Amino acid sequence: MKITKGFARIASTGIAILAVGTLAGCGAGDPSANTDNGSGEENITVGISVYDMSSFITEGKEGIDKYAEENGITVKWNSANNDVTTQADQVDQYVNAGVDAIIVVPVQADTLQPQVAAAKAANIPLLDVNATLNNDDVSASVQPDDVAAGAQEAQMMMDELGGEGNVVILQGPLGGSGEINRGKGIDQVLAKYPDVKVLAKDTANWNRSEAVNKTKNWISAFGDDIDGVISQNDDMGLGALQALKEANMTKPIVGIDGIEDGLNAVKNGSFIGTSLQNGTVELATGLAVAAQVARGEATTDDAMNPIYTMPAITSDNVDDAIKHVVTERPEFLGGLTELINSNLETGNIAYEGLPGQEQ
Amino acid sequence: MTTEALTPTGRRRIDAKLIRHIAIRYAMVIVLLLVMCFFAYRSARFATPDNAITILVAAAPFALIAIGQTLVILTGGIDLSVGSVIALSSMTGALAAKTFPDQIWIAVIVSVVVGLIAGSINGFVVSVIKVPPFIATLGMLTLASGAAYVVGSGAPINGLPESFGAIANTRVLGLTIPVILMIIGIVGLGIVMRRTAFGLRIYAVGGNPLAAQIAGIKTGRVLFSVYAISGALAGLSGLMLASRVITGSPTLGQGYELDAIAAVVIGGASLLGGRGTIWGTALGLLLIQTLNNGLDILTVPAYWQNVIKGILIVAAVAVDVWAAKRRV
Repeated sequence: MKITKGFARIASTGIAILAVGTLAGCGAGDPSANTDNGSGEENITVGISVYDMSSFITEGKEGIDKYAEENGITVKWNSANNDVTTQADQVDQYVNAGVDAIIVVPVQADTLQPQVAAAKAANIPLLDVNATLNNDDVSASVQPDDVAAGAQEAQMMMDELGGEGNVVILQGPLGGSGEINRGKGIDQVLAKYPDVKVLAKDTANWNRSEAVNKTKNWISAFGDDIDGVISQNDDMGLGALQALKEANMTKPIVGIDGIEDGLNAVKNGSFIGTSLQNGTVELATGLAVAAQVARGEATTDDAMNPIYTMPAITSDNVDDAIKHVVTERPEFLGGLTELINSNLETGNIAYEGLPGQEQ
Repeated sequence: MTTEALTPTGRRRIDAKLIRHIAIRYAMVIVLLLVMCFFAYRSARFATPDNAITILVAAAPFALIAIGQTLVILTGGIDLSVGSVIALSSMTGALAAKTFPDQIWIAVIVSVVVGLIAGSINGFVVSVIKVPPFIATLGMLTLASGAAYVVGSGAPINGLPESFGAIANTRVLGLTIPVILMIIGIVGLGIVMRRTAFGLRIYAVGGNPLAAQIAGIKTGRVLFSVYAISGALAGLSGLMLASRVITGSPTLGQGYELDAIAAVVIGGASLLGGRGTIWGTALGLLLIQTLNNGLDILTVPAYWQNVIKGILIVAAVAVDVWAAKRRV
């Protein structure tokens, strides 16, 4: 009996402490609580919901954390594990918590209508970053230009082939915005080259392993008639590279994204090129724009909807790209705030000082 | 055929009977040959030695998990976790290769052992705790998938040494290591299932667990070992897939369990256990891989490929069910 009573007392004290702690926690999240953070800006809280922890997002989170730390931003982070409902719940929570801005990297384009409306009603700016939400009430938007990236890689291939020959195309998951837009860019360029024939195009779902088998089958079907491989991302391009190696063939390959292995392939000449989508820069810029909107600093359409145009990576500038993405990443992160803030002034948010890139 | 069988000429009757017998006995072989003939007829590029190798190389990683799956299904169980175990073993193997780039054997051991551990946990949960296999391995599917992301903090493992690629890309007698492993696996396990006491026990446990127990078979041990074998083979499969493209990916192997189960069922196995063979599974697998390859060669659009594959898989099993009824 005694023990029970004592235990009950300890337990109730514990609960009381917990309760106080929770209340204090709420206080800390209050945007009006303090403004002293060293960046000279008002402290704000931004809620972020991402579709999943992909490698792109994982890389981008490092940029976001760095930028947040140096610019008086508290980040609340949640991953939706590719589930639309989970993402809706997360955005609802941010609206209820009264954050200063919400960033969504959407699971699907045609979702979150009620959440976007609720955020608007609560006067909380909501941004879509990296992929679009089909909704006119989205306050601001930071998007990569996938059409331009597709056109860029197709142009690289056309220049390599001298505007004639046969190509095969590896696509992303059919119906996804990446596949549709990159494909649109590729088609726009190919339309200008009547002497180029597309022997086959099919999806390998962004997946290196699937791309090997798909390309091997095409090699069976067309053999040496294949003059080049246009892959909608680097991973599938690397799969095609392996398939060609197994068949003792060398053909030009081009990809998009600039992942570590893709950049190395450009460096050693296996890829003619790729387009760099630097997740660190793109997502941290998303946060920077969210902060500007929340603080009332971004008002023009251009400032609120900057476009990320992926720089072309070829043997000329691949060494610098590898430094930014892989070998000298800590140094790159160190200068990230300065880079992003000056980019927002010039408007070219993809600028990162690569040779051939203009500010 | 029936009218012919009724005609009184003796020789004809035997011939018709024989054809009927062969058709029933080898229904799946005939389906496979018909599919192959169709592709060979439609494209001169299909029936070439190089393309045969292409099919075998693509089939190899699936073969490893499909034969493991056969043992599990023969006991009346199912192993839904193999796809995720492939992801986990590819990630751990890649991590080991990155950490010890000069000692690639460590990566090999890590991958297979990780698969073996995952399979052993399945086996323990099914045989000792008596959780239904569907649930136990569904749990492992989720767990291993999550663990695969944990290993790389959500990202694939890139920038691996070339030596890691040597595991799957080395050729012996013109065949790559995965193909050789597939042949050893199919022939080896095929013999084990037919000729050894262990094989017999697996059939007995799947056919009638109670009778098997009364006959003195330690059913728990048999169940444990089939899941452990399935896990280890998935680990090996993950290693081969990762090594071929020199990367570890947390999304590798997603959905492969369904292809493996399809191969086993097309091969004539009963999901209730006790009926099925390794040879049948090999045949089922070959059918699926031949379809993947042939439809690509004919450049059938991706949407239609899936539609056709779905129809053919069900049709193949329907033919087999029809034949099985008449086999007795």
